[in-house]
Amino acid sequence: MRHWMFSCKKITSMISESMDRDLSLYKRMGIRFHLMMCALCRRYRKQLLFIKSVLQQSDGVEDIFCQSLPSDARKRIEEKINDEGKHSHD
Amino acid sequence: MGATDKQEHDAIHWLDQYGDALYRFAMARVHDSFTAEDLVQETLLAAYRSYKNFSGKSTVKTWLTGILKNKIADFFRKLKPEYGDANLGDYASSTANLFDKKEKWKIKPGDWGGDPKNVFERKELMAVIRACLTDMPEKTAYVYTMRELEGATTNEICERIQTGENNCWVILYRARMLLRRCLEVNWFGR
Repeated sequence: MRHWMFSCKKITSMISESMDRDLSLYKRMGIRFHLMMCALCRRYRKQLLFIKSVLQQSDGVEDIFCQSLPSDARKRIEEKINDEGKHSHD
Repeated sequence: MGATDKQEHDAIHWLDQYGDALYRFAMARVHDSFTAEDLVQETLLAAYRSYKNFSGKSTVKTWLTGILKNKIADFFRKLKPEYGDANLGDYASSTANLFDKKEKWKIKPGDWGGDPKNVFERKELMAVIRACLTDMPEKTAYVYTMRELEGATTNEICERIQTGENNCWVILYRARMLLRRCLEVNWFGR
């Protein structure tokens, strides 16, 4: 058997899974054997790790989304808060 | 009324002080300006109403962010299932055509070469990642963001959106497949 027992497709999901929890020895060996034979899945794994490392080097999610609260939205929220204040006086 | 005035003043003060941070936090997770605005508003109103519960043990910002996190989780919990749950159509589309019938690579992962070398390249890459995340199904992007950027465990994630852990792994797999492919096409140009 060229790729031991797991298909490339299955291996891609197992590699993803391995990033979220500990795999059984059976699956770990399966991945290891497959990667020894399969350059494409090796590449896939490297790419996933690369993406993960890029995301972890950024100073948090908000960095990627560097918008600030638009002024019209700010005004709307301010009005709501003031409304709420009035009601609680009643 | 003095106490109420003070509270009201506080909510406005929070908006001034933390509005941007809360909005960014929400945007990074829901990718929609109107939804993000609603969530920030709900957060501030909820904080305003429950101010007496604020123990002062954490900073106000942490406290507000905690409320916002719950609001975001509620939002995704209420989303219609077809948006985010690991239904077969979505799952298939993340791997569609990538593999042949024998489940071997058909669209082969390309050689991405070296890592981005300078800050400029890195910034551009982040922009592409952002666009890719925005294109993803909402819940998929949210789950992925919590996992990779906040370091939440799958256990915490499924608790927050009330789904099974298996579903979480499927969603994360789909997110990685979609993001990898999206970067390959849009950043590495293949």
